[in-house]
Amino acid sequence: MNINLIKISWIILVSILISLVYNHFNPKGLNFIRQERVLIWEDSSDSDNSDNEILSEEDNNNSAQTDELTQNEKNENLEQPKAIKLDFAYKLFNQNVKFIDARPVEEFAEGHIKGAINIPFYGSEEYESVLNKIPKDEYLVTYCDGDDCDLSILLGDELFEKGYKKVYVFYGGWNDWVKNNYPIEK
Amino acid sequence: MKLLKNKYLLFLIRIILGFIFIYAGIEKISDPEGFALSISNYRLLPIWTVNIFAITLPWIELIAGLLLLFGILVKENSSIILFFLCVFTIAVIISLFRGLNIECGCFGKGNQIGLLKLTENLLMIIGAVILTFFGSDYFKITGKD
Repeated sequence: MNINLIKISWIILVSILISLVYNHFNPKGLNFIRQERVLIWEDSSDSDNSDNEILSEEDNNNSAQTDELTQNEKNENLEQPKAIKLDFAYKLFNQNVKFIDARPVEEFAEGHIKGAINIPFYGSEEYESVLNKIPKDEYLVTYCDGDDCDLSILLGDELFEKGYKKVYVFYGGWNDWVKNNYPIEK
Repeated sequence: MKLLKNKYLLFLIRIILGFIFIYAGIEKISDPEGFALSISNYRLLPIWTVNIFAITLPWIELIAGLLLLFGILVKENSSIILFFLCVFTIAVIISLFRGLNIECGCFGKGNQIGLLKLTENLLMIIGAVILTFFGSDYFKITGKD
Protein backbone atom coordinates (compact mmCIF):
# COMPACT_ATOMS: atom_id res chain seq x y z
CA MET A 1 0.00 0.00 0.00
CA ASN A 2 2.98 2.30 0.65
CA ILE A 3 1.18 4.77 2.86
CA ASN A 4 3.45 7.32 4.42
CA LEU A 5 2.33 7.90 8.01
CA ILE A 6 4.55 10.95 8.39
CA LYS A 7 2.82 12.63 5.45
CA ILE A 8 -0.56 11.78 6.97
CA SER A 9 0.53 13.36 10.23
CA TRP A 10 1.62 16.48 8.37
CA ILE A 11 -1.68 16.80 6.53
CA ILE A 12 -3.58 16.51 9.81
CA LEU A 13 -1.26 18.86 11.64
CA VAL A 14 -1.42 21.56 8.97
CA SER A 15 -5.23 21.21 8.79
CA ILE A 16 -5.51 21.59 12.55
CA LEU A 17 -3.31 24.68 12.51
CA ILE A 18 -5.39 26.28 9.74
CA SER A 19 -8.59 25.41 11.62
CA LEU A 20 -7.35 27.06 14.81
CA VAL A 21 -6.29 30.23 13.00
CA TYR A 22 -9.59 30.37 11.09
CA ASN A 23 -11.61 29.78 14.26
CA HIS A 24 -9.72 32.54 16.03
CA PHE A 25 -10.61 35.13 13.39
CA ASN A 26 -14.07 33.80 12.56
CA PRO A 27 -16.84 35.92 14.18
CA LYS A 28 -18.86 32.69 14.49
CA GLY A 29 -15.85 30.89 15.99
CA LEU A 30 -16.34 28.56 18.95
CA ASN A 31 -14.76 28.51 22.39
CA PHE A 32 -12.20 25.77 22.56
CA ILE A 33 -13.84 24.08 25.54
CA ARG A 34 -17.59 23.62 25.30
CA GLN A 35 -19.60 24.43 28.40
CA GLU A 36 -22.42 22.13 29.34
CA ARG A 37 -25.84 23.69 28.77
CA VAL A 38 -27.29 24.14 32.25
CA LEU A 39 -31.05 24.48 32.35
CA ILE A 40 -32.36 27.25 34.54
CA TRP A 41 -35.72 26.33 36.01
CA GLU A 42 -38.60 28.66 36.45
CA ASP A 43 -38.91 28.94 40.22
CA SER A 44 -41.79 26.66 41.14
CA SER A 45 -42.67 28.83 44.15
CA ASP A 46 -43.26 31.62 41.67
CA SER A 47 -45.61 29.49 39.68
CA ASP A 48 -47.62 28.70 42.78
CA ASN A 49 -48.06 32.35 43.56
CA SER A 50 -51.17 33.66 41.90
CA ASP A 51 -49.71 37.18 41.74
CA ASN A 52 -47.05 35.87 39.48
CA GLU A 53 -49.26 34.49 36.76
CA ILE A 54 -47.59 35.23 33.51
CA LEU A 55 -50.72 36.58 31.90
CA SER A 56 -53.74 38.09 33.53
CA GLU A 57 -57.22 36.70 33.05
CA GLU A 58 -58.07 39.30 30.45
CA ASP A 59 -55.26 37.92 28.35
CA ASN A 60 -57.08 34.71 27.72
CA ASN A 61 -58.53 36.36 24.70
CA ASN A 62 -55.06 36.89 23.39
CA SER A 63 -53.38 39.50 21.16
CA ALA A 64 -52.24 42.62 23.05
CA GLN A 65 -50.61 40.54 25.71
CA THR A 66 -47.95 42.95 26.89
CA ASP A 67 -50.54 45.51 27.92
CA GLU A 68 -52.32 42.94 30.00
CA LEU A 69 -49.40 41.46 31.88
CA THR A 70 -49.47 41.51 35.64
CA GLN A 71 -47.25 44.11 37.21
CA ASN A 72 -44.60 41.60 38.26
CA GLU A 73 -44.02 40.24 34.79
CA LYS A 74 -44.75 43.21 32.63
CA ASN A 75 -42.10 43.57 29.95
CA GLU A 76 -39.79 41.43 31.99
CA ASN A 77 -37.45 39.61 29.67
CA LEU A 78 -35.80 36.37 30.72
CA GLU A 79 -32.03 36.15 30.93
CA GLN A 80 -32.18 32.87 29.06
CA PRO A 81 -34.88 30.35 28.14
CA LYS A 82 -36.22 28.83 31.34
CA ALA A 83 -37.27 25.24 31.81
CA ILE A 84 -40.76 24.56 33.10
CA LYS A 85 -42.63 21.45 34.14
CA LEU A 86 -46.08 20.19 33.28
CA ASP A 87 -48.10 22.15 35.84
CA PHE A 88 -46.65 25.49 34.80
CA ALA A 89 -46.88 24.59 31.12
CA TYR A 90 -50.56 23.77 31.54
CA LYS A 91 -51.11 27.06 33.31
CA LEU A 92 -49.55 28.88 30.36
CA PHE A 93 -51.59 26.78 27.94
CA ASN A 94 -54.78 27.92 29.68
CA GLN A 95 -53.64 31.50 29.22
CA ASN A 96 -53.33 31.00 25.46
CA VAL A 97 -49.57 31.23 25.38
CA LYS A 98 -48.22 30.01 22.05
CA PHE A 99 -46.72 26.51 22.14
CA ILE A 100 -44.07 25.63 19.57
CA ASP A 101 -43.44 21.99 18.70
CA ALA A 102 -39.75 21.50 17.85
CA ARG A 103 -40.15 17.94 16.58
CA PRO A 104 -39.97 16.90 12.90
CA VAL A 105 -43.03 17.56 10.71
CA GLU A 106 -44.07 13.87 10.63
CA GLU A 107 -44.18 13.58 14.43
CA PHE A 108 -46.10 16.85 14.68
CA ALA A 109 -48.64 15.52 12.18
CA GLU A 110 -49.17 12.38 14.28
CA GLY A 111 -50.32 14.52 17.18
CA HIS A 112 -49.41 17.68 19.06
CA ILE A 113 -50.50 19.95 21.88
CA LYS A 114 -53.74 21.68 20.92
CA GLY A 115 -53.08 24.93 19.10
CA ALA A 116 -49.31 24.38 18.89
CA ILE A 117 -47.41 25.42 15.79
CA ASN A 118 -44.58 23.39 14.32
CA ILE A 119 -41.09 24.81 13.92
CA PRO A 120 -38.84 21.74 13.58
CA PHE A 121 -35.42 22.59 14.98
CA TYR A 122 -33.77 20.82 12.07
CA GLY A 123 -35.09 22.92 9.27
CA SER A 124 -36.00 26.00 11.27
CA GLU A 125 -34.50 28.24 8.57
CA GLU A 126 -37.39 27.21 6.33
CA TYR A 127 -39.81 28.42 8.96
CA GLU A 128 -38.66 32.03 9.01
CA SER A 129 -42.00 33.14 7.57
CA VAL A 130 -43.86 31.50 10.47
CA LEU A 131 -41.54 33.19 12.93
CA ASN A 132 -41.93 36.57 11.28
CA LYS A 133 -45.62 36.57 12.23
CA ILE A 134 -44.82 36.17 15.93
CA PRO A 135 -44.09 39.41 17.81
CA LYS A 136 -40.76 39.41 19.64
CA ASP A 137 -42.37 40.24 22.98
CA GLU A 138 -44.77 37.29 22.91
CA TYR A 139 -44.44 34.50 25.45
CA LEU A 140 -43.48 31.21 23.81
CA VAL A 141 -43.21 27.66 25.06
CA THR A 142 -41.10 25.15 23.14
CA TYR A 143 -41.45 21.42 23.57
CA CYS A 144 -40.41 18.13 22.04
CA ASP A 145 -40.91 14.48 23.06
CA GLY A 146 -40.00 14.59 26.71
CA ASP A 147 -37.19 14.60 29.22
CA ASP A 148 -34.52 13.05 27.05
CA CYS A 149 -34.98 15.10 23.89
CA ASP A 150 -33.18 18.39 23.53
CA LEU A 151 -34.84 19.84 20.41
CA SER A 152 -36.96 22.11 22.60
CA ILE A 153 -33.86 23.46 24.37
CA LEU A 154 -32.04 23.98 21.08
CA LEU A 155 -35.03 25.73 19.52
CA GLY A 156 -35.55 27.76 22.69
CA ASP A 157 -31.94 28.94 22.53
CA GLU A 158 -32.26 29.73 18.81
CA LEU A 159 -35.46 31.73 19.33
CA PHE A 160 -33.82 33.55 22.22
CA GLU A 161 -30.90 34.50 19.97
CA LYS A 162 -33.38 35.73 17.37
CA GLY A 163 -34.77 38.20 19.90
CA TYR A 164 -37.61 36.29 21.57
CA LYS A 165 -36.76 36.99 25.18
CA LYS A 166 -39.75 35.30 26.79
CA VAL A 167 -39.14 31.70 25.89
CA TYR A 168 -39.94 28.76 28.14
CA VAL A 169 -38.84 25.21 27.51
CA PHE A 170 -41.45 22.65 28.53
CA TYR A 171 -39.23 19.88 29.85
CA GLY A 172 -41.72 17.03 30.14
CA GLY A 173 -42.90 17.73 26.61
CA TRP A 174 -45.33 15.72 24.56
CA ASN A 175 -45.00 12.54 26.67
CA ASP A 176 -45.99 14.24 29.94
CA TRP A 177 -48.80 16.11 28.21
CA VAL A 178 -50.35 12.98 26.73
CA LYS A 179 -49.92 11.02 29.98
CA ASN A 180 -52.10 13.60 31.74
CA ASN A 181 -54.73 13.62 29.00
CA TYR A 182 -54.33 17.32 28.35
CA PRO A 183 -55.80 18.69 25.11
CA ILE A 184 -54.19 17.51 21.91
CA GLU A 185 -55.04 17.61 18.25
CA LYS A 186 -53.88 15.90 15.05
CA MET B 1 -9.04 -6.89 -9.67
CA LYS B 2 -8.02 -5.53 -13.05
CA LEU B 3 -11.13 -3.38 -13.14
CA LEU B 4 -10.26 -1.89 -9.77
CA LYS B 5 -6.89 -0.80 -11.15
CA ASN B 6 -8.52 0.93 -14.11
CA LYS B 7 -7.15 4.47 -14.08
CA TYR B 8 -10.44 6.01 -15.22
CA LEU B 9 -12.40 4.28 -12.47
CA LEU B 10 -9.82 5.30 -9.87
CA PHE B 11 -9.91 8.86 -11.21
CA LEU B 12 -13.72 8.92 -11.03
CA ILE B 13 -13.73 7.67 -7.42
CA ARG B 14 -11.06 10.22 -6.54
CA ILE B 15 -13.04 13.12 -7.99
CA ILE B 16 -16.32 12.04 -6.40
CA LEU B 17 -14.79 11.51 -2.94
CA GLY B 18 -12.80 14.73 -3.27
CA PHE B 19 -15.88 16.81 -4.07
CA ILE B 20 -17.99 15.13 -1.36
CA PHE B 21 -15.43 15.90 1.33
CA ILE B 22 -14.81 19.44 0.10
CA TYR B 23 -18.55 20.09 0.22
CA ALA B 24 -18.93 18.41 3.63
CA GLY B 25 -16.00 20.39 5.01
CA ILE B 26 -17.25 23.76 3.72
CA GLU B 27 -20.78 23.14 5.04
CA LYS B 28 -19.45 22.45 8.52
CA ILE B 29 -16.96 25.30 8.46
CA SER B 30 -19.76 27.72 7.56
CA ASP B 31 -21.83 26.69 10.59
CA PRO B 32 -19.49 25.60 13.40
CA GLU B 33 -22.13 25.82 16.12
CA GLY B 34 -24.51 23.69 14.08
CA PHE B 35 -21.84 21.05 13.61
CA ALA B 36 -20.97 21.16 17.32
CA LEU B 37 -24.64 20.55 18.13
CA SER B 38 -24.72 17.63 15.71
CA ILE B 39 -21.68 16.08 17.39
CA SER B 40 -23.13 16.56 20.87
CA ASN B 41 -26.43 15.00 19.76
CA TYR B 42 -24.61 11.69 19.24
CA ARG B 43 -23.80 11.75 22.97
CA LEU B 44 -20.63 9.77 22.40
CA LEU B 45 -18.05 12.38 23.38
CA PRO B 46 -17.56 14.30 26.62
CA ILE B 47 -19.27 17.65 26.14
CA TRP B 48 -16.08 19.64 26.73
CA THR B 49 -14.37 17.98 23.74
CA VAL B 50 -17.17 18.70 21.26
CA ASN B 51 -15.97 22.13 20.14
CA ILE B 52 -12.41 20.90 19.60
CA PHE B 53 -13.72 18.36 17.10
CA ALA B 54 -16.17 20.84 15.58
CA ILE B 55 -13.34 23.28 14.92
CA THR B 56 -10.74 20.88 13.53
CA LEU B 57 -12.57 18.01 11.78
CA PRO B 58 -14.11 20.07 8.95
CA TRP B 59 -10.73 21.49 7.96
CA ILE B 60 -9.13 18.05 7.85
CA GLU B 61 -12.04 16.95 5.63
CA LEU B 62 -11.72 19.99 3.39
CA ILE B 63 -7.97 19.77 2.95
CA ALA B 64 -7.99 15.99 2.46
CA GLY B 65 -10.76 16.48 -0.12
CA LEU B 66 -8.86 19.21 -1.96
CA LEU B 67 -5.61 17.22 -2.04
CA LEU B 68 -7.53 14.19 -3.24
CA LEU B 69 -9.19 16.20 -5.99
CA PHE B 70 -5.85 17.48 -7.24
CA GLY B 71 -4.26 14.05 -7.00
CA ILE B 72 -1.76 15.01 -4.31
CA LEU B 73 -0.79 12.23 -1.85
CA VAL B 74 -3.84 10.25 -2.94
CA LYS B 75 -3.24 7.15 -0.81
CA GLU B 76 -2.54 9.16 2.31
CA ASN B 77 -5.61 11.37 1.89
CA SER B 78 -7.80 8.40 1.02
CA SER B 79 -6.71 6.70 4.21
CA ILE B 80 -7.58 9.80 6.24
CA ILE B 81 -11.00 9.89 4.58
CA LEU B 82 -11.41 6.13 5.10
CA PHE B 83 -10.67 6.53 8.81
CA PHE B 84 -13.23 9.33 9.13
CA LEU B 85 -15.87 7.39 7.24
CA CYS B 86 -15.39 4.36 9.49
CA VAL B 87 -15.68 6.48 12.65
CA PHE B 88 -18.78 8.30 11.34
CA THR B 89 -20.39 5.03 10.31
CA ILE B 90 -19.78 3.43 13.71
CA ALA B 91 -21.28 6.53 15.38
CA VAL B 92 -24.38 6.31 13.16
CA ILE B 93 -24.79 2.57 13.87
CA ILE B 94 -24.49 3.10 17.64
CA SER B 95 -27.02 5.94 17.51
CA LEU B 96 -29.47 3.86 15.47
CA PHE B 97 -29.20 1.04 18.00
CA ARG B 98 -29.83 3.52 20.81
CA GLY B 99 -32.93 4.70 18.97
CA LEU B 100 -31.74 8.28 18.59
CA ASN B 101 -33.61 10.21 15.95
CA ILE B 102 -30.92 12.78 15.23
CA GLU B 103 -29.36 14.79 12.46
CA CYS B 104 -26.21 13.13 11.12
CA GLY B 105 -24.23 16.35 10.82
CA CYS B 106 -22.72 15.13 7.55
CA PHE B 107 -23.65 17.87 5.09
CA GLY B 108 -25.18 20.69 7.09
CA LYS B 109 -28.78 20.59 8.29
CA GLY B 110 -31.52 18.26 7.09
CA ASN B 111 -29.79 14.86 7.01
CA GLN B 112 -31.29 12.41 9.47
CA ILE B 113 -29.37 9.28 10.33
CA GLY B 114 -30.79 6.05 8.97
CA LEU B 115 -30.22 3.15 6.62
CA LEU B 116 -29.84 5.47 3.64
CA LYS B 117 -27.01 7.25 5.42
CA LEU B 118 -25.37 3.93 6.24
CA THR B 119 -25.59 2.84 2.61
CA GLU B 120 -24.04 6.11 1.45
CA ASN B 121 -21.22 5.71 3.94
CA LEU B 122 -20.65 2.10 2.94
CA LEU B 123 -20.30 3.07 -0.73
CA MET B 124 -17.85 5.83 0.18
CA ILE B 125 -15.88 3.39 2.37
CA ILE B 126 -15.57 0.99 -0.56
CA GLY B 127 -14.34 3.86 -2.76
CA ALA B 128 -11.84 5.02 -0.11
CA VAL B 129 -10.51 1.47 0.38
CA ILE B 130 -9.96 1.09 -3.37
CA LEU B 131 -8.14 4.44 -3.55
CA THR B 132 -6.06 3.67 -0.45
CA PHE B 133 -4.88 0.43 -2.04
CA PHE B 134 -4.39 1.49 -5.64
CA GLY B 135 -4.00 5.28 -5.57
CA SER B 136 -4.80 7.34 -8.66
CA ASP B 137 -2.13 8.98 -10.77
CA TYR B 138 -4.39 10.09 -13.58
CA PHE B 139 -4.60 13.88 -13.99
CA LYS B 140 -2.60 14.68 -10.92
CA ILE B 141 -1.10 18.08 -10.29
CA THR B 142 2.37 17.00 -9.18
CA GLY B 143 4.68 14.55 -10.92
CA LYS B 144 5.57 12.77 -7.70
CA ASP B 145 3.40 10.76 -5.31
